[in-house]
Amino acid sequence: MSPGLSYTLVITGAPWSSQAPQTALAFAQELIAAGHRIDRVFLYGEGVHLASALSTPPSDEPDWPGQWADFLADNQTPGVACIASALRRGIVDQGEQARYELSANNLRQPYQIAGLGEWVEGNLKSDRVIYFHGSH
Amino acid sequence: MTTLIVIDQAPYGSWTGREALDMVFSLAAFDQPAAMLFMGAGVNWLRKSQDAGGIGQRTVEKNLAAAPVFGVEQILAEQSACERFRLGEEDRLNGVELIPSVRDALDRFERIVFAG
Amino acid sequence: MTQEQTIQATLHILNKSPSHPRFATCLAALHEGDTLALAENAVLAVTDSTAGLPRNCVALDADLEARGLAGNPNVQIISYGDLVRLTAEHSRTVSW
Repeated sequence: MSPGLSYTLVITGAPWSSQAPQTALAFAQELIAAGHRIDRVFLYGEGVHLASALSTPPSDEPDWPGQWADFLADNQTPGVACIASALRRGIVDQGEQARYELSANNLRQPYQIAGLGEWVEGNLKSDRVIYFHGSH
Repeated sequence: MTTLIVIDQAPYGSWTGREALDMVFSLAAFDQPAAMLFMGAGVNWLRKSQDAGGIGQRTVEKNLAAAPVFGVEQILAEQSACERFRLGEEDRLNGVELIPSVRDALDRFERIVFAG
Repeated sequence: MTQEQTIQATLHILNKSPSHPRFATCLAALHEGDTLALAENAVLAVTDSTAGLPRNCVALDADLEARGLAGNPNVQIISYGDLVRLTAEHSRTVSW
């Protein structure tokens, strides 16, 4: 039996603006089921909205941010929101809130904020880097 | 292994092109070889004499001109898109190589990435 | 018994509807032997008379079902698990 591969998943499509988070989550679940490893999930561009702690869909609608956060926590998979994409779109952690003297922070657990170096590292170290883009 | 970053969206209407450039410069910062392909409406990033001050943006002309200095190996543009958008040699930034088809460009690189 | 070989062809994952400009660009960039995986809005291509899909074309079951195209005969239907397998088998995947 061949050993599992390591994957970096990059999500550039936002929830509700695109299907990217849903497709990526279904893919990620099957990755784990097939015995592969996810090195990290990297949110870039509009994808950073997936890491908002304040996203509150109606109870009868899918909660993509919540489902993704649960997946990351359950599988101990690192989730990273790109700092440049996140800051300009208003996704900030405590550190950035302090740095910019903002009124609040809203980065959902268990995400971290980091730079594009995380994506470069994925390119270097992961066997596969798969992108989930928006529709536009 | 050179990564080809592809831009096919028109400039200034969204930040996707800039975020593609950020990817290119990140690769360069980590000494990873990178190249760029502009296709479709994206070739309009390569037009000279852009002045985005009136819409509150900065042009990327300087970034693109600096790209080779930072280790970006090639800047490619889809020939038919340049013709479609009337982007002749005299209108284009220096150092842009035309390619006859997108497939030719994809054949040259192991990793191909759209920023969004 | 040989190890699972990595295929040299490219896997293309396309999620754009057939009327999106990147759809036609993707199709024009395919090589014989590449695999085209249709996801999300791209699955509409199976019922688009102008789409010109290649032979090695697959489409995600959940996206077909969502759009009322379950069991469409024009394409090989795959699951998310199959998509994972395709990405593992191909050394190169391009998401359009």
